[in-house]
Amino acid sequence: MTRENMTDEASSPADGGDPTTDEMLVETSPTAGVSESDSGTAGGSRTLVEARNVNVWYDDDQALNDISLEIPENRVTAMIGPSGCGKSTFLRCINRMNDLIDAARVEGDLFLRNKNVYDDDVDPVALRRRVGMVFQKPNPFPKSIYDNVAYGLEIQDKEGDYDEIVERSLKRAALWDEVEDQLDESGLELSGGQQQRLCIARAIAPDPEVLLMDEPASALDPVATSKIEDLISELAEEYTVVIVTHNMQQAARISDKTAVFLTGGELVEFGDTQKIFENPDSQRVEDYITGKFG
Amino acid sequence: MSTDARDAVEDGFGHVSRTVGTVFRYLLLVSTLVGIVTLGVLLVYVANDAIRPLTADPGWHLTFVLAFALPSLLVGGYLYRRDKSALFTGLNALGVPAVSLLFASAAAMLFVDVVPPLIWFAYVVAVAIPLVVLLATTRYSHRIPFLARVATLAAVTVASLGVVPGAIQSLPFVPQAWLVVAATLGVPVAGVAGTYADRRWGRRAAVSVAVAALVATVAAPFAGPTIGLDPLPATVLMALAGVPTAVYVGTVVVNQPERRVGLLLPLVVVAGALVGGAVVDALGFAGPQAWIDWQFLTSDHSNTPAEAGIYPAIVGTILLMVVVALASFPVGVGAAVYLEEYAPDNTFTRVVDVNISNLAGVPSVVYGLLGLGVFVRYGGMTPGTVVVGGMTLALLILPIIIISAREAIRSVPDSMRQASYGMGATRWQTVKNVVLPRSFPGILTGTILALGRAIGETAPLLMIGAPQIFDLPTALDARVGAMPLQLYVWATTFASPEFYTTALAAGVVTLLVAMLAMNSIAIVLRNKYQREQ
Repeated sequence: MTRENMTDEASSPADGGDPTTDEMLVETSPTAGVSESDSGTAGGSRTLVEARNVNVWYDDDQALNDISLEIPENRVTAMIGPSGCGKSTFLRCINRMNDLIDAARVEGDLFLRNKNVYDDDVDPVALRRRVGMVFQKPNPFPKSIYDNVAYGLEIQDKEGDYDEIVERSLKRAALWDEVEDQLDESGLELSGGQQQRLCIARAIAPDPEVLLMDEPASALDPVATSKIEDLISELAEEYTVVIVTHNMQQAARISDKTAVFLTGGELVEFGDTQKIFENPDSQRVEDYITGKFG
Repeated sequence: MSTDARDAVEDGFGHVSRTVGTVFRYLLLVSTLVGIVTLGVLLVYVANDAIRPLTADPGWHLTFVLAFALPSLLVGGYLYRRDKSALFTGLNALGVPAVSLLFASAAAMLFVDVVPPLIWFAYVVAVAIPLVVLLATTRYSHRIPFLARVATLAAVTVASLGVVPGAIQSLPFVPQAWLVVAATLGVPVAGVAGTYADRRWGRRAAVSVAVAALVATVAAPFAGPTIGLDPLPATVLMALAGVPTAVYVGTVVVNQPERRVGLLLPLVVVAGALVGGAVVDALGFAGPQAWIDWQFLTSDHSNTPAEAGIYPAIVGTILLMVVVALASFPVGVGAAVYLEEYAPDNTFTRVVDVNISNLAGVPSVVYGLLGLGVFVRYGGMTPGTVVVGGMTLALLILPIIIISAREAIRSVPDSMRQASYGMGATRWQTVKNVVLPRSFPGILTGTILALGRAIGETAPLLMIGAPQIFDLPTALDARVGAMPLQLYVWATTFASPEFYTTALAAGVVTLLVAMLAMNSIAIVLRNKYQREQ
């Protein structure tokens, strides 16, 4: 795995002045013993993100109830469950996007490389520079395709040849061949599926450690969806992908690990995807997966 | 029972009364038309006094109907039937030169009568130096700490403003006024035209467009005298009206071949006007004895309507608008950005919120008093000057600017902000890179509409002690009058039946044309903005 080297090289020489980033980088020492995943069948991969007793409230409504799980590095982890079960909320805890909502309150610990991202000394902006995010509805900026992909590089003041990074990111997002000749045109002129791949290219351009995807294919047609799915499987070679999806077949196809959230913000079961779909421990999960959800 | 029901259906479904609905609908139509009809009557009434079309020879009317009105209508009707978008293009190709000519004339007035070109040149250079430094520091050295950059920039600005104007004014030779203006206007205009062309047609076209714009501006002072224009105004008009018109026509010709036919309309209109004018001259038909004419637009105030003119008031209005825009735009947009993007939702911001809405409704007389109190009483400024008037009007329209700018900022989709924050952007980066560029057209539209309100305000100027009879204002601390004030004075101090139907009517038309020109820009901007969304 070349991921280790890439992280150390790329994830932030530019951010020299930021204490948080430095501190978090220091803590990348191997800690496999502390946080090895329960099942161990996910290829023995190290844990990258670990949640311990995470609770989230929106005003007085509890959206997440005591969530604990461990997300392995360089794997695809899927979050499934019915609407309103808190899976997107959990996703947004990882990069602290919930901070932007006044009413949201988060309790518990959430570790990224063994650093609690809810510690007081963590700057959420610096955190988000290491955790990329792709949203449900494609949301490219009303800028050129090039500027869209280079956006993260520019705001994070990254060094390097932007032309090359933009090209590489678009290639990784499987969009390069379609937009090679129109980099100066507006990102809004692309089709929905292309826009979503542009958003993925934008998210991976600054080379984050984790890629969060909040139902990235739910607004797309089947052809575009299957392209995105192929893409996610490829991205998992280099990135840790956490994906929220409504679509159980999708989770079964692309993920290595699956977390099933059910009503009330509860994590009912978490384990290898194959096991969850073929032989879940919980009766409620089985009911949900077989469509008998009650 | 069931048989009864079936019989009823066989007779038809019956009728539901629409009477009330119909009455209601026509009542609504009437209330819609009241506004339009009132405005139309007002315009016809005033324009009739100002232009007096009936004083012209019948031959004059006949000539212009045949040479100008009929062909224009025919071409317009043809375009309307053939392709409405082509007609739209034709109307735009008439509107762009008309409106840009008005604004270019305003700028030309300033160069001819208010700002000596050499001083203008000196300050342009003095401001350009820090701007270049700013660009250089942001582009080439991200690593310089923020405070050091600000300190450097401040030092350069102070030094530049302190040294450069004096140095340039004490040059041993004095360059020609038109040359100075051609350089200071031609270069930025060429830059803007080049950027526009670069975006549409690529780098090579951009260079030729920019060079053409620069050459046209520099050539204008030589070409101007051949059609009776002085070199200086010819330069300004070419840079600010000629180049934009040419760029618009060029865009249509190159990018919208199916709409090219629309350009027939401006051709016919201009050619018709020229031909009609020539024929009328040749046959000796007398035109209407309009009150709004060159003499009226370029003369000072006089006690007799026949000699009265509105020139100082026009220049005063232009200067006031410059001050108002410079003072109210940054403050208003700043407040809007703070309230929308930064302010927490607490009692304080809600109080501010409500008060801004209230301030927008405060009568302008009260703002005049406020200006008098703050700037003259406590600020110790001379009453009735350009600065005091401009800042008072700026206070007046500040709430309107804040409200419309907030509206524009709020219309930026939240998904854009989320995307930016999700990339690890700070709030400032999100505002700068995503929110402001996206909402800028809307902010500009609101600001222009607010300026359109300020242009017609009389009461605040009276309150701050603007003089009733005023000369051409030539500096920011000169006593100033404005068009609405001039109208008020003609209608009160010089009240007489002659004034009412002559100079006053002509002044009203002038004021309305200025206001409509500003609003038309706002409308064009808003349409473009809505299309892009």
